[in-house]
Amino acid sequence: MINFYSFKNKSYILSLFLIVFTIIVIFFKGLNLGIDFKGGLNFEVQTQLNNKEISQIFKIIESDREILIKKEIGSDVYTIRIESGENNPSFIEEINKIINDNPDMKILLSEYIEPTFSSELIKNSIYALASSLFVIAFYVWIRFDWQFAVSGIFALIHDVFIAIGFMSLFNIEFNLTMIAALLLIAGYSINDTIVLFDRLRNITSDENNKDSFDLNVNNSIRLNLRRTILTSFTTILALICLVVLAPVNLTEMPIVFIFGVLIGTYSSLFLALGIVGDLNYEAVLKARDS
Amino acid sequence: MLILKEWRLWLSLFLIFFCFYFIKPNFNDDSSTSKINFGLDIQGGYSYLLELNKDEYLDNLLIKTSQAFENDFKINSIIDQGSLFIPSNQNLEKINNILLSNMGLEIQDQSSEGTNYIISKRNFNQSLSDMTLNAVEIVRSRVDFLGNKELSIQKVGLNKILLEIPGNLDNNVKEVISKTAKLTFHLEKRSLVNSKVFKNDDTGEEIRVQEIPNLTGDYIQDASLQYNQNEPVVAFSFNKEGSNLFAQMTSENVGTRFAIVLDGALITAPVIREAITGGSGQISGGFSNESANNLAIILKSGSLPTEITIIQEKQIGPTLGKEGVKKGIYASIIALIAITLFMIIYYKISGLFTVITILSCLGLLFALMSLLNTTLTLPGVIGIVLTIGMCVDANVLIFERIRENFKMQSDNPKSDGFNAAYVTILDSNLTTLFAAVFLFAFGFGPIRGFSISLIIGIISSLIVTYIILRLFLNTTSEKYLGLNK
Repeated sequence: MINFYSFKNKSYILSLFLIVFTIIVIFFKGLNLGIDFKGGLNFEVQTQLNNKEISQIFKIIESDREILIKKEIGSDVYTIRIESGENNPSFIEEINKIINDNPDMKILLSEYIEPTFSSELIKNSIYALASSLFVIAFYVWIRFDWQFAVSGIFALIHDVFIAIGFMSLFNIEFNLTMIAALLLIAGYSINDTIVLFDRLRNITSDENNKDSFDLNVNNSIRLNLRRTILTSFTTILALICLVVLAPVNLTEMPIVFIFGVLIGTYSSLFLALGIVGDLNYEAVLKARDS
Repeated sequence: MLILKEWRLWLSLFLIFFCFYFIKPNFNDDSSTSKINFGLDIQGGYSYLLELNKDEYLDNLLIKTSQAFENDFKINSIIDQGSLFIPSNQNLEKINNILLSNMGLEIQDQSSEGTNYIISKRNFNQSLSDMTLNAVEIVRSRVDFLGNKELSIQKVGLNKILLEIPGNLDNNVKEVISKTAKLTFHLEKRSLVNSKVFKNDDTGEEIRVQEIPNLTGDYIQDASLQYNQNEPVVAFSFNKEGSNLFAQMTSENVGTRFAIVLDGALITAPVIREAITGGSGQISGGFSNESANNLAIILKSGSLPTEITIIQEKQIGPTLGKEGVKKGIYASIIALIAITLFMIIYYKISGLFTVITILSCLGLLFALMSLLNTTLTLPGVIGIVLTIGMCVDANVLIFERIRENFKMQSDNPKSDGFNAAYVTILDSNLTTLFAAVFLFAFGFGPIRGFSISLIIGIISSLIVTYIILRLFLNTTSEKYLGLNK
């Protein structure tokens, strides 16, 4: 039987390394912000033309806006992203006309977001995320103990943050849909962690239980190990189906989520209960027993 | 028969009936309101997010307040950068706290020269929100007149309007919604005091007129596209009050020119040849059929309280929507089959129960979504996928707990295992549920779509595991469950 609790210091180091690595990646590579958070124009066009020919077409427009052209893997769909600038309404008309007049290109999707609105969206997303984090912490604190709340929130932020690093590393576009993906990871992570918390509470509340804290933690994990592996496995199985079969503009999301499931499983097995232990939950238990 | 005594059986049957009853309207063509709507990202269409100008509205509100002070109390005030300054030399007797709070004002700062008032935040937000609701109706009527039947329009936040129209893009929509349509009539004025020059950029026509309009488009009752010598013109008629004002204005000023101004730009400046008492008129000025019709629609619907900006526009081709959905559904079904096959192989009979639980969870989810008339978007589909994940997880938790109890040879392995696992499930699901509720309350767009299906999904999952899965576990003999080794 693996002694999970004894790994806690090693996993602190690993997590610290991952977090520092994420900070470095985000610092140097930045986030590939989509128009939801930066403002601008976004087109998805279906065309047989290649990248060069498409950029040729957009060169006609005199503008110093940055234009990004990306081919979606395994399809004839291109995503074209154009920065916002001055006099956007007439610019949109012009671009739409150019694409519509070109017989080789078909617009599948076009989207424009005013930069003032995108900064509002950032604020709004942060509000939404922060308030739900707060509510999670509050619920866990009420149902368990503050140590669990701190540890659960830490594990959750840890997982989401490293997933953001993953997105930055592989240049995956950060937009509102990706916020939904991060929420999915958060939901999965807290779910996984709470199942273990519940088991630890259950085991330690037994009055006949005279085992050491280490042993209790290990027992909690051991008894839940099969469930953790089964759930992660079925989730990843479903996600692989989505990656292979989902429409082109939705493949990135399950990939990020698979990574999230892996990191979430790691954090709940090796991190969460370790933190609870280091926050001296043992003392709470002893006080209760005496 | 023991099974007939099980209350869960009757509740399960009721649930099945409930699901069928509420899912059924989705397959009928009738216009039942209990249906799942599909978001634009699924069915294709276009949308605009409009923002009304807050600053302009604040200015309008201050002007109104200032006028009220002048008319009701003979107090002169000065509007300065979002605040109202009343000098101390005015008659301040009538100003008291009750009056101020009725007018929604609060003191910003005070000095010997006078007092600076601002409109209190609460009052301003309330008023802004009412104004937006009013604007929603104006925008709705404009788009309605263009003949768009299935539009969805709603107020978002304090001063935003989201307009969603399924189907192919109609460029007229953008034209009619983005115009404020403030129509004003001004008499010509030669003096430079309180006057203003309006210009028509197309024809170069210019006229100096009185700055404050003599009449506004607010009195217009009806407008339509008509032809005058084969040229499209916009014919309009005033309501009774407007007719009287117009008659008075024209009869007193025969021979004078007057300007017809739309959103600050001169349309035309005809000479008043005779008093117009019929209360109707015509605007001509190089219109095309389409632009004349659009203007008529705008005038008929009334003007917007402030200028409008399109802060987000989206156009999703129907092919992307349809193909995306087809592939998405296909992928989800394959994923579902993969999960169920795995569960059956791993848990045998119990795995089969999981399959039934998942299917009834989906059934209840769709029934509730139809009942609540929810809009399903692609992020919503992702929420459903997470729901299925949580439902499977609940099943695994229960089975593993029962298996553990068998190992420990507890007295009542099935029921104890179920109860112990259900506490865990409640804790973990409720945490997610509360988080999802807050996301729904504070989030926007995709985040809301994701959280609404997650909220409904978690509730469905909790219900079906407690009723249907438990029913199967209770009524199946231990040796068939396959959890006792």
